[in-house]
Amino acid sequence: MKRYFSPTVLLKVFLPFVMLFTALAATAQDKAATAADTAPKTVWTNPVAITMLVIIVILLIVIAVLASVVTGTAKWQNMQLKNSGAIKTVIGVLFLLSPALASAQDAAAPAAETSSIAGLTSTTFYLLVSVIAIELLVVLLLGLFVMKFLSKQSIHTASVAAGTAGAAATTAPTLSWWERFNGFRPVEQESNIDLGHDYDGIRELDNKLPGWWLWGFYLTIFVGIIYFYRYEISHTGLSSKQQYELAVKEAEEAQKAYLEKAGNKVDENTVTLLTDAASISAGKANFEKTCATCHGVNAQGNIGPNLTDDYWIHSGGIKDVFKTIKYGWPDKGMQSWKDQYSPMQIQQLASYIKSLRGSNPAGAKEKQGELYKEDGVAPTTADTSATVTKDTTAVKK
Amino acid sequence: MQLEKFHYDNKIVKYFGYATAIWGLVGMTVGLWVAIQFYLPAVSLNFPGTTFGRLRPIHTNAVIFAFVGNCMFTGIYYSLQRLTKARMFNDKLSWIHFWGWQLIIVLAAVTLFFGFTTGKEYAELEWPIDILITLIWVVFGINMFGTILKRREKHLYVAIWFYIATWITVAMLHIVNSFELPFSWMKSYSWYAGVQDALVQWWYGHNAVAFFLTTPILGLMYYFMPKAANRPVYSYRLSIIHFWALIFIYIWAGPHHLLYTALPDWAQSLGMVFSVMLIAPSWGGMLNGLFTLRGAWDKVREEPVLKFFVVAVTCYGMSTFEGPMMSIKSVNAIAHFTDWIIGHVHIGGLGWNGFMAFGMLYYLVPKLWNTELHSKKLATNHFWLGTIGIIIYAIPMYWAGFAQADMWKTFTEEGQLKFTFLETVTNIVPMYITRSIGGLLYLTGAFMMVYNLVKTINKGSFIGDEEAEAAPLEKHASHGKEFWHSVIERKPVLMLVLSLVVVAIGGLIEIVPTFLVKSNIPTIASVKPYTPLELQGRDIYVREGCYVCHSQMVRPFRDEVVRYGEYSKAGEFVYDHPFQWGSKRTGPDLAREGGKNPDAWHFMHMWDPRQVQEKSIMPRYPWLFKNDINTAITPAKIRAMQTLGVPYAKGYDQIANDDLQKQAKMIAETLRKDDKVKQLAAVSEGVDLQNIENKEIVALISYLQRIGKDIKSAPKTETENK
Repeated sequence: MKRYFSPTVLLKVFLPFVMLFTALAATAQDKAATAADTAPKTVWTNPVAITMLVIIVILLIVIAVLASVVTGTAKWQNMQLKNSGAIKTVIGVLFLLSPALASAQDAAAPAAETSSIAGLTSTTFYLLVSVIAIELLVVLLLGLFVMKFLSKQSIHTASVAAGTAGAAATTAPTLSWWERFNGFRPVEQESNIDLGHDYDGIRELDNKLPGWWLWGFYLTIFVGIIYFYRYEISHTGLSSKQQYELAVKEAEEAQKAYLEKAGNKVDENTVTLLTDAASISAGKANFEKTCATCHGVNAQGNIGPNLTDDYWIHSGGIKDVFKTIKYGWPDKGMQSWKDQYSPMQIQQLASYIKSLRGSNPAGAKEKQGELYKEDGVAPTTADTSATVTKDTTAVKK
Repeated sequence: MQLEKFHYDNKIVKYFGYATAIWGLVGMTVGLWVAIQFYLPAVSLNFPGTTFGRLRPIHTNAVIFAFVGNCMFTGIYYSLQRLTKARMFNDKLSWIHFWGWQLIIVLAAVTLFFGFTTGKEYAELEWPIDILITLIWVVFGINMFGTILKRREKHLYVAIWFYIATWITVAMLHIVNSFELPFSWMKSYSWYAGVQDALVQWWYGHNAVAFFLTTPILGLMYYFMPKAANRPVYSYRLSIIHFWALIFIYIWAGPHHLLYTALPDWAQSLGMVFSVMLIAPSWGGMLNGLFTLRGAWDKVREEPVLKFFVVAVTCYGMSTFEGPMMSIKSVNAIAHFTDWIIGHVHIGGLGWNGFMAFGMLYYLVPKLWNTELHSKKLATNHFWLGTIGIIIYAIPMYWAGFAQADMWKTFTEEGQLKFTFLETVTNIVPMYITRSIGGLLYLTGAFMMVYNLVKTINKGSFIGDEEAEAAPLEKHASHGKEFWHSVIERKPVLMLVLSLVVVAIGGLIEIVPTFLVKSNIPTIASVKPYTPLELQGRDIYVREGCYVCHSQMVRPFRDEVVRYGEYSKAGEFVYDHPFQWGSKRTGPDLAREGGKNPDAWHFMHMWDPRQVQEKSIMPRYPWLFKNDINTAITPAKIRAMQTLGVPYAKGYDQIANDDLQKQAKMIAETLRKDDKVKQLAAVSEGVDLQNIENKEIVALISYLQRIGKDIKSAPKTETENK
């Protein structure tokens, strides 16, 4: 197979950047993995650092594209990349820098007491700035190359046109960035690369693989290998299970912090009956959303028991109702709602339910459970003498 | 050199073409019908065969195997003859292939309608049809290879490479995934269980997309695109590299359908990285297609055929970029189980497969009937209608996917889930309405095409046997510098073998260890086989296609564990033949459904979900209250399970029905006691509480109450607040 690109040139341009980036990513990620235990003071949690890293990556991509344009153009014109020495130097510097940068980052974390800029240690900050600066320099250089080639090429094609003096030459192709990007050859020169195949009239050309496509392919393979190594061989990446445990831990801490701040620490021992309209209507809304399915829209009972009478299967005090909602009675079909509703919301729900006492809604379900007497309050319904028709044991089984 | 005269068989192409158009309309109409069921559940007609769980497999099978399948055969039978300069190997085989395939389709539609399904997506057809498919596929293979072997063209063109890879890989996938143990003339259990079944199934499912919807259509593109544009193929070496890379890498990517599930992590990682590596090989096809049009873009403006091809190839590029992105675990955590997936597959289905088929038909019909297309304007209108249809279909689905995933995962500051599952569904109903409008536009376009083609056919005269001539194949004489790949192109059998080797590697490396290495599926002592009643219920669950809307796989995410319960473990599924993890959550996950709701709740809910939850979009299942449990088959089911390694005691098949009836009676008693159930039975015809223990609903309830219960820890008594 013919050589269709000059890998050595591109490799020189590309490889150091990839190494630099992975070195950066690897050290920072390892830290991120341990960050859960220690104080999370890494580059990854600092917005300035993240912004700078993103800029670094974007610039890398720009460099990669420009590099491929430059090398492509160079190839196109069949001439040596004369000034590649300059690039080599720049790259060499970066290459040397990459391990230094990585180790500097390791050192950066314990040296937190030294002066800091934008929340970063000064070493880290200056390192990031200098990487960006060097990248900008490379972009500038490559840009100059492109400009140079463009002007050279127009001279070149003009001279060819003058030489051949053919009609085709007057429409000498000037390649757009898109054509250059894909390594297109002018349609007029197609016959040079026709392979002479003829399948039911279909011909085939021998165009080279678009550089970005090929390098993109290599990149995905490289990323794939790194990923698999990190997650399945070195196990420095978090497994699904570890990710889950970390997420739960973080959430629990955040929840605890919030609840303490919000004074939302109500439980079945401390819960009190709320009577303010806002709480009752909040309770009502949630009741209609969830509880109504089983207990009816007006709490008249459906699959679940009537909640407006004085008969309760699990006792009817505010604390009891709170507890029933919170933990549920899974054996009897009442589920636990503590993961869906906060303690305050459960308090509102329980208070709303208590507020419905004696509302006698239409279609009320028959009594279930035992008569519950609120301390010092007489039952609202008249038939206090009536024995409960349904034995509690019958309901329980 | 004496030129040989021969005839191309156009009649078989015509028939496959007709079948493509007809099944296309049928499959898409069913698609529209099921789309409407998402917001008008009554459209299920409360009839088993027209309920979403059964219609959805009919839709997918019709568009994949009937529409795209026939489209593939149309294109192959047309292009293969011309690329090999030979008539099809044997006309009889051609016709056996054609009528055999149509028979499979009809049998598929009928059996799925009546609820015969294996419960494995895109492989739902039961064992007799599986065998028939294998036979017909072999007939197709012999016919194709016979043609290739008696060709008059020395080298095989790239399109044929794709046809060969398609044939051998689909054969491999179909046979391996269809291992099943029949226990009646139409029913079987998957040979594999749980995690292993899931891995094999998605190795198949993913590569059905790869080798039924992608590689053959790429082959068609390589023929019809340069023909229609009259331009040379952009790059021969790109063809070579992207072909081999594509078929090698594609096969590994199956586990990306099982990210964050109970599948071992290493297999998930392999699936993910190979999916990412798949971008470039996939795009190789798109680039070679689009770049072939260089210098012919002025033609695209005028020629509807090329318009269809351009959008098809672009959609191919979009969905093959999107696919790898969705295979990245963190993205998959959002996309999976949502409508994003539905949007994604329809970019591929409507855009790539549909538009390739339309473009090809618009190209072929005038050629075969030796005339001009009836109306280019109408075809252009079809193109625009279809394109707009795709957009109106896809965007709402993406929106719905993001919205739903976001709502599923949102917690309140207090640390509770913010939305109930039903709220996340109700929220996206408007998107369901919009997408069905997109589908309607697309379908309208397809009808316009059929009208246009019929008009064309009426004015043309069909050439059944097209005359052709070519020199016979001479013994190979080397023409100097020869490229290594052209050696393979001269040797079709070598190509076949190489393709098989290349596609077999990925599957072997992923599947074999999962079967052989014990640590991949840690056993759980408390997991026990299903009781006979639960087993019957499970088969009803499979029959009604519950898995198309309900997953049984709690992923290790905080929101899912809070919403559903402990995340699923590999060892829980060892008796699941087939696995029922599902791939979409139109309804909530059921992996921990057991014990969540009372029996009465399920009873009411299956009778009419909207009596329990007003805004539910689930269909009704009234026939479960009428049909008796088929107890005659219980012993056979138990025996089949025993053969598959499920540890029922010896001779249990004989007494299984006693246990079944005992358990059914218990559930029936609870139901009969419940006031709400009594009320329902009093007002509803068809609820016979007296004999309810014999009805299928009881079996289904027993299964639902069992799912995921084996490892549910004893109810936690929280004491920290005391």
